[in-house]
Amino acid sequence: MEIGFHGHEFDKAERNTQTLIEKTINWFRSKSIFVVAYGTGCGAIEMPPTFTSRYDAERGGVVGVATPRQADVIIVSGYLAYKTLRRVIRTYEQMQSPKYVIGLGSCAINGGMYWDSYNTIKKLDDYIPVDMLVNGCMPRPEALLEGFAKLQERIRNGEQGGWEKYEKNLEFYKKNQKKVLGENIDPSYEADWYMLKQGATL
Amino acid sequence: MSDILTKLQGLSMEVTQKNERLYKLMVDAHDIMSTLLKLLNEYDYITLDSINCRDDLEEGYFTITYCLLKKTRDHVLMVQTSINRENASLPTLHKIWPQAEILERELHEFFGIDFPGHPTLIDFALEGWNQLPPLRRDFDTLEFVNSLDPFRGQRDDNLDVKVEMKKRREEKKAQKLKEAQEAAKNEEVPSHES
Repeated sequence: MEIGFHGHEFDKAERNTQTLIEKTINWFRSKSIFVVAYGTGCGAIEMPPTFTSRYDAERGGVVGVATPRQADVIIVSGYLAYKTLRRVIRTYEQMQSPKYVIGLGSCAINGGMYWDSYNTIKKLDDYIPVDMLVNGCMPRPEALLEGFAKLQERIRNGEQGGWEKYEKNLEFYKKNQKKVLGENIDPSYEADWYMLKQGATL
Repeated sequence: MSDILTKLQGLSMEVTQKNERLYKLMVDAHDIMSTLLKLLNEYDYITLDSINCRDDLEEGYFTITYCLLKKTRDHVLMVQTSINRENASLPTLHKIWPQAEILERELHEFFGIDFPGHPTLIDFALEGWNQLPPLRRDFDTLEFVNSLDPFRGQRDDNLDVKVEMKKRREEKKAQKLKEAQEAAKNEEVPSHES
């Protein structure tokens, strides 16, 4: 039995289906989560106390980094405008697999109090695959840490990440993105790379 | 303060005092440029604080308010004018007050007001917007939102809060009753040691 944040017990049975190497890799992976420092909405204000001495996410292996190329997790903190969605998609596509998305707050879940705004998205998981949704308005840092603990648990169990879903269902995500952002989602080279991986030719 | 009012009366326009530090001046749309220049040059209203727009849909016009300040910053002068909603157009002020450039850009984006001669009437807060300007009152926000992004359905385990809370309360009650009964039973049984 392993203890993470708040003493969660992890399921042993599922872990036994992994090989020893997989198990080891996943354990290391879960213990070094790098979060890109990017806040989309008001939820970003909950992230500084989470990562600094008050709640100290580093004790669970969660650290912030400056650039998407180094990051494993992007937190969509709060409401997401269409304009910001373009940047979030670009950031997400620049991140290297394995990568995960955490939606923070009720705005990321169903639009929250901005559900009828002309420039805010309602369903985040239509545009990028979301691994973990933390509800609340605003969620406290404890809730965010709980989300991280659950995410670590899933990584350790070797569950499928959202990035695999994104690569498999790229057409679905691109269709939804184009619906709200128009035909030109630039730069397109990141998406082209995914297409190449699926067997398409440039 | 009343000498401000008497001074402004020299403009031969309708000036009213809204409160201690707020004065309002109603101007015709074609006089707006000359009035603002006069206020700047002769009355020392050197700062343009903001340009605001109100959509009077029923009357069919936009009400534009220019807020002006003096160097002393002791009162605000609102210069108000109304323009037709159809093909709304205003003279640009960016050569007089540089900050007007971005204020006018905002009005252009959210109300569709044209500013002939303005250098940067491009996207401001929105990107590639091809609908009616979003802050116009005839823009149906709800319809637009629902057409673009349907509302998320209910959770799979969607539960009625009232029913669930009642169930929980009853469970708690039963638990407490059981504990009380057990405690009473334990007290009744005399221990052998005593």
